[in-house]
Amino acid sequence: MIPLTRRNAARAVSYSRQSLPRPARLYSTPTKKLLAQESVSSSGTSQEFPPYMAQPSASGSRPLAVAEDMHDFLHRRSPYTILPTPLPDDVATPTTDYFFADSPTQDAVAIMDACLHGLQDVPRAKEMFERVRVARQGDPILDSRVYNLMLEAYLEMATNREEINRANWLEDAWSLYYDMEHGTDSVDPTANTYAIMLQAWLRFNPESKNPVIIGGAQVLDPVALLRNIIGRQIAPSLVVADRAFTTDEEANAAIKALSRAAVEMGLSRVVTELGMAESLGRQAVDPLEDVPEVVPVVKAKTPEVEVIHQEDGTVSELRPQGPVPDGEVPFNLETLRRHLSQVVLARRVLSEEVALRQKLLEQSVYNVAVERMKHQADMLEKVGLPSKGLQSNNLRAWMWEWHQKLVNRIQAELENLVVEERVIAKMRQSSNRHRKTEDVALSPFLKLLSAEKLSLITIMEIMHLHNAGGVNDGMKTARALLSVGRAVEAEYKAEMCKKNKISMPVPTTAPARPGDKSIFTSTGYRDLYARRVAARKYMEDSEEWTSEWTQLVRVKVGSFLVDCLMDVATVQRSTQDPRTGEKITEEQPAFFHQYEYLRGHKLGVIKFNPAVAERMSRDSVVETLHPRHLPMLVKPKPWLSYNNGGYLFNRSWAMRFKESREQEVYLRHASDAGRLELVFAGLDVLGSTPWQINRRVFDVVLQVWNSGERFNKIPPAVPDEPEPERPPNMEFDNKAKTIYIERQKAWQQAKAANHSDRCSVNYKVEIARAFLGDTIYFPHNVDFRGRAYPIPPHLSHIGDDLSRGLLLFGEKKPLGVRGLRWLKIHLANLYGYDKASFDERVQFVHDHLEEIKDSAEHPLDGKRWWTKADDPWQCLATCMELKDALSLADPESYECSLPVHQDGTCNGLQHYAALGGDAVGAAQVNLAAADRPSDVYTYVANMVEKSIQDDLESGNKYAQVLAGKISRKVVKQTVMTTVYGVTFIGARDQIERQLKDRGDIPPEMCWLGASYLAKKVLASIGDLFQGAKDIQNWLNLCARLIAKAIPEERLVHSFTETAPARKNAKSKQPRWKKEQMTSVVWTTPLGLPIVQPYRAVKRKQVMTSMQTVFISDPNSPSIVNSQKQASAFPPNFIHSLDATHMMLTALECRAQGITFASVHDSYWTHPSDIDQMSAIIRDTFIALHSSNVLKSLFEEFKERYADYKVPLVAIRGQFAKSLGLSPEKLGMSTQDAQLLINSEVEEGEQSEQSEEEAAAADEEEDIEFGAEAEEEEKPKPKKRKTKGKVTLKAADVEKRLAGKFVNLVDLFPELPEKGKFDVNLIKESQYFFS
Amino acid sequence: MFSPTRCLRRPLSLGLSPSAARIPPVPDVEEWRKLFPWALRRRDRALISRPETARTLARAFLQNKSLGSGHDRIVIEAFPGPGMLSRAMLELPSSTLRKLIILEEDEAFLKQLKPLEEADPRVTVVPMSGHDWDTYAHLEEQGLMKDVVYAPWEENAFPNLHFVAHLTHNVKGEQLLAQLFRSIPERSWLFRYGRVPMSILMSHHVWSRLSAPAGSKVRCKLGVIGEATADTKEVVDPEYLSPYDDHFYPPSPTGRGSSSSRKVGQPMHAITSIPYAEQVIQSGMIDEWDYCLRRLFVLKSTKLADALNSLAPGAKTLIDSLAHSNVPREQRVNVNKKVRELNIADWALILRAFNKWPFKPQDLMITDAFASEFD
Repeated sequence: MIPLTRRNAARAVSYSRQSLPRPARLYSTPTKKLLAQESVSSSGTSQEFPPYMAQPSASGSRPLAVAEDMHDFLHRRSPYTILPTPLPDDVATPTTDYFFADSPTQDAVAIMDACLHGLQDVPRAKEMFERVRVARQGDPILDSRVYNLMLEAYLEMATNREEINRANWLEDAWSLYYDMEHGTDSVDPTANTYAIMLQAWLRFNPESKNPVIIGGAQVLDPVALLRNIIGRQIAPSLVVADRAFTTDEEANAAIKALSRAAVEMGLSRVVTELGMAESLGRQAVDPLEDVPEVVPVVKAKTPEVEVIHQEDGTVSELRPQGPVPDGEVPFNLETLRRHLSQVVLARRVLSEEVALRQKLLEQSVYNVAVERMKHQADMLEKVGLPSKGLQSNNLRAWMWEWHQKLVNRIQAELENLVVEERVIAKMRQSSNRHRKTEDVALSPFLKLLSAEKLSLITIMEIMHLHNAGGVNDGMKTARALLSVGRAVEAEYKAEMCKKNKISMPVPTTAPARPGDKSIFTSTGYRDLYARRVAARKYMEDSEEWTSEWTQLVRVKVGSFLVDCLMDVATVQRSTQDPRTGEKITEEQPAFFHQYEYLRGHKLGVIKFNPAVAERMSRDSVVETLHPRHLPMLVKPKPWLSYNNGGYLFNRSWAMRFKESREQEVYLRHASDAGRLELVFAGLDVLGSTPWQINRRVFDVVLQVWNSGERFNKIPPAVPDEPEPERPPNMEFDNKAKTIYIERQKAWQQAKAANHSDRCSVNYKVEIARAFLGDTIYFPHNVDFRGRAYPIPPHLSHIGDDLSRGLLLFGEKKPLGVRGLRWLKIHLANLYGYDKASFDERVQFVHDHLEEIKDSAEHPLDGKRWWTKADDPWQCLATCMELKDALSLADPESYECSLPVHQDGTCNGLQHYAALGGDAVGAAQVNLAAADRPSDVYTYVANMVEKSIQDDLESGNKYAQVLAGKISRKVVKQTVMTTVYGVTFIGARDQIERQLKDRGDIPPEMCWLGASYLAKKVLASIGDLFQGAKDIQNWLNLCARLIAKAIPEERLVHSFTETAPARKNAKSKQPRWKKEQMTSVVWTTPLGLPIVQPYRAVKRKQVMTSMQTVFISDPNSPSIVNSQKQASAFPPNFIHSLDATHMMLTALECRAQGITFASVHDSYWTHPSDIDQMSAIIRDTFIALHSSNVLKSLFEEFKERYADYKVPLVAIRGQFAKSLGLSPEKLGMSTQDAQLLINSEVEEGEQSEQSEEEAAAADEEEDIEFGAEAEEEEKPKPKKRKTKGKVTLKAADVEKRLAGKFVNLVDLFPELPEKGKFDVNLIKESQYFFS
Repeated sequence: MFSPTRCLRRPLSLGLSPSAARIPPVPDVEEWRKLFPWALRRRDRALISRPETARTLARAFLQNKSLGSGHDRIVIEAFPGPGMLSRAMLELPSSTLRKLIILEEDEAFLKQLKPLEEADPRVTVVPMSGHDWDTYAHLEEQGLMKDVVYAPWEENAFPNLHFVAHLTHNVKGEQLLAQLFRSIPERSWLFRYGRVPMSILMSHHVWSRLSAPAGSKVRCKLGVIGEATADTKEVVDPEYLSPYDDHFYPPSPTGRGSSSSRKVGQPMHAITSIPYAEQVIQSGMIDEWDYCLRRLFVLKSTKLADALNSLAPGAKTLIDSLAHSNVPREQRVNVNKKVRELNIADWALILRAFNKWPFKPQDLMITDAFASEFD
């Protein structure tokens, strides 16, 4: 047996040359205990420490050392990912095509992939392949894996499908291989290529059973092949273990052939290596190898293997160490692969047992679903309800019924479709018309999966989209079609992924030890990179390549399936005839189309039949859940690449893109260049935190749920709000009627919200039930700003109070003195008593011990103290833990698995204050030490309340309604989001929601009242945060300039070259406007490139069989929305910082061996580890902010946009003024500068604002008598007044300035001056995070 | 229809009221720009600027033959602006105009209207907006309506009340118009007093929608309800009111962005609507009509048979009660007609079938289908 137990793993896999050093902890088991002494010293805590701290910083050698590495890391000049700006859609050059594959190519490749699948139509695939190969040579979309797939298909055709044409197919294969080998297509052969060609030789060489002689291409024998293999530094053992070999015999034959060749060539090293491979294949698998520290008594000897890696992580050589023994077991290919995966990845293979359920979960979703539905139907039949699927009012029975009909329907429709497409193709051929773009034929895609699977996918996706996108009991059609299309694509890929029995790399389970701090050092970082690349290569090589589909294909596939479903899915509905009282039953469609107007746009929606919708809030909905909606049962697959990680078989992306290809391309490049190691590592840390369902809380939730009553944020099964009464005079009094309708609408909305809440709680309860008793994990990915989120959407710790209350850490830790104290503080925080000092909070808990005990013991039949908490469910969970601890003789020894939170107090403002060194701001948000926590929200609320009192005297009717009702809660969200640039409209909506929630304000007053309040709140915040404002302005100005900039090389084109004159070019827009394609891009301190996706919305109309839908094509970029780019930049930038702070904290917590979870700016760990985590939070924050973040950003902008120019015409008016331009510096005439500042901005510029904002502005007109508008409308004279001399019309100004450009970097305003506040002071602040 | 050419031949002084001489005139149009600067809100108000036009319209509105002889009417005038039409109406004798209630809330306009109260005892200026239902409740509370004579809903019976308005050129104006027509079958608002005629000055955009016949491309909900509830006629040849700039203020915008059909500057129409004595839409049924019209007009170029399903799931079964062979021929609807081709009789039959259908949706209020924007 391979002695790969934890003890000697390191020895077994030793590395030479550019080898991987000692396995880093993130991917593998640790080797030896480094700095073991430190670990002892850092675990000791004592009560004498300041409230949050683990220990006085003097003795904390650990934090300092780590902080140093981290400081160095954050101070390095981070490598930027710089890519060309996308081009306007009417130009195309090879460079940008390289980065942005266009949709037709993508379609062609997708069809090719689909045709190859199961060898559906290889000639067609070949035709597409040859065409793309010629037209798009060197396109990254055609990588070696595509070539290999073609080779494989040719070989398969020759072997089993078309024996008559055998010679031709072989000739195709060999000549394609020849092209690869000779670099004609700049695509290099891989191990897989050689495996296929070796197979081709083995099967058809002159001495074989079926000799084939071909004349048109050169055939290589094993010697020639081996020479090439060695030449490319590919390990021969990997070739013979390649997935291309499907039988043991062939693999064995290949080993023999290559060995003979090696002997012939005198390569003894290769001979040994192959010998080793053969013997590895003969080893039985040790059933106990995954049991740590247990060494079986009888062990077969396995050679120890040395792996040689190349720079990029590929394996170039495997060397046996010691004698190669001969085994008795017959050669087994799979065994060989397992062994190789172990040594190549220097890690352990997932054990079957651990992974079994997860595999089952992911592999057989659709099979399990169908089994369950069938079972249900059978059961019903047994109890004497003969297959009354439709009548039986039961979701599962309905779905089963639909499924059966849908399968037949799909099969029939597909047959029609195939015939139809054949006819069309023939017609096209005969008409001989050359078409520019290939019509996408649908049938190859639909044939990828069985009709059963297609049917289930459709039903499950549609059911799952219930209430999606805010559509009550329905969904947007476009989204439904895309989702179904995407689900089909994902399932096909998952099938491909599962086909080859890949062994998953898993992050190690062993806790990292203190002192192991390598990842922030450059060697540590490089290890991490090399390790990930090796694992990724391995995974990619063993997966079959599949193509990405375009939106168009997805929509078409989706529409085909959804259309079929809507046609066949029906339900029986009965009601009483209101007049006759007789019972009437009708068979009705389960889903139907409707159009709704959303902000004046007609939008297609698919709605649920009320009978089905009603069931969605009651029945078991687990059937509709795909595993990618569920937590995982094993640790998520580590992120091996930007699109490989998380779920084992279901493709997930490390980032959630916002329909922006640009984001994906940047991420791919950064990932390939190895700049994202820490982001990936951070995500792996978050994903590997084990959780469990809190059984005791679950029982209470279930009891409440089943009672159907309204309780603690769990909505009632039947809405309990009374319908508003019809006023008696509404028949003739239109005023009364309006008010009634207003109330009625509010009531309807509340009812709909109640229903959708009920559905959402239903999901949570069902999922929790399904995982009771399991240890579960949440795979994470980031949004485009780098903030991390768990991927499963329903139940996770990022969810609401109920979700959080249902979750506990998977591991327990004894409380200790400090832990007990933190548990109490946590309880006070959850109750809402979080403004007091820590001691007072502890006292609060001591004062309520009776209630706490009662809550824990009699949650429902007691005094229900916990239900009055701010976060009742989490409070209940905490009460239970605390009660259990206190009932022990030694409460400190209680083993606790409850996460305790530390939240940033207004985290956005904290970052602003640190960035600007703003002492005033810092004090407001607890960066500076104070005896008590300061609370911005209360402060602002009081300011507003005071202002209302003033208005009261003047008899303002809103003041009368609202006086005394301005709680902290009303203003909280607005204050919080001010730093993220909330607009008046946004603030008003937030406040309106709060006012409505209060329930003591007449509904018809809410909207106008909110508008009144919003003004007050925004005014009050005004001066409070000056420092933040300056930075915000600076960020905003920079972004505005960037969004107006044009890359230098485009300049020439934009002015000299007259764009291809289109006849119907209706716009007389100057060319430079079309060239504004530059989005704001920056790099976080962790190296993550962030690309703002905001561009003009360009949707393509797609006619489908059911509705016309509009979808956007992420492959064709449009001009940037400069307004949105600018206004969103400050908040996005701050978010990228808080995301970085979180990731650093996560990595550091892992390094120190403490459990970590986070909800953005709320950091969680075990109560006993809070002190340690608190120290880390402060260290990482200081490390982050002492690296002078803004300056680095400025430097990056200067480098990234060095070659960009801004047309002067784009920055006229107020904008130019706010930049404070100096003509000398820009090298333009003073006159031009004057002109810039004095000229009015033309109309077109103003109307650039997005639709949403325009709509919002319209709204505003109605309430606010626009003072601004009046001013702007005052006609010409005003201009004359201002300057007297230069009065040029906008057109003239434009003419004058046209063609004048300045360097973007010269325009950037200077950074606002940094204040005196020293971030190191937060070490002294208890309430910074609390 | 009132012919302006014929009207102009009449001696002007003939019908003039004695008060005419004392009424302070509206300032010269040249000065309007200064007096009533364009604010967004004012830009939506196309106002008569030429006194002659105002006079023609006043007579066309109030001396309408189909209303019987002009016995002392009480006129409520909404959105008068500076009062060009108000003054023209005041030139009519007391036998025609007994009382004029003016609704206007714009301060700048009020300055020009307030003097009318002093000059003519028939005038009451109420500084409130015609858009608010509160305003009409206020008229009642103030006792301004106490001399209105109720008239039963019968042929040839009219109350002595008349509603006159310049419709504002914005969404609110269109909404108001739709609501006024919807009030007719319910007999709410002023229609409590009987079949109150409404004389309204509107843009071509609104008029084309209101008057669009079955089959027209612009046929819409407003047109159907308008056709069902009232006899609506143009009272002045629209040619007479054009070109726009000769008769109205503010001038039509020039240059870019002026193409919107909803903004001022469109050809104008003057109409009078007289509610029918017998209503197709039964009292209490307006919500059902509203629901069906809205849902189906979303698909106005679709065949009725195909559009029906978007009313509610299973609504296709209504086809049976509309077109089945056992339905008497005169009660059948051709379900192959496109939605916009349906006439009032068709609609009445559709509504009858809908109301009989036990599965008709209980909640007819078309609230926003979108719970929230957050997703």
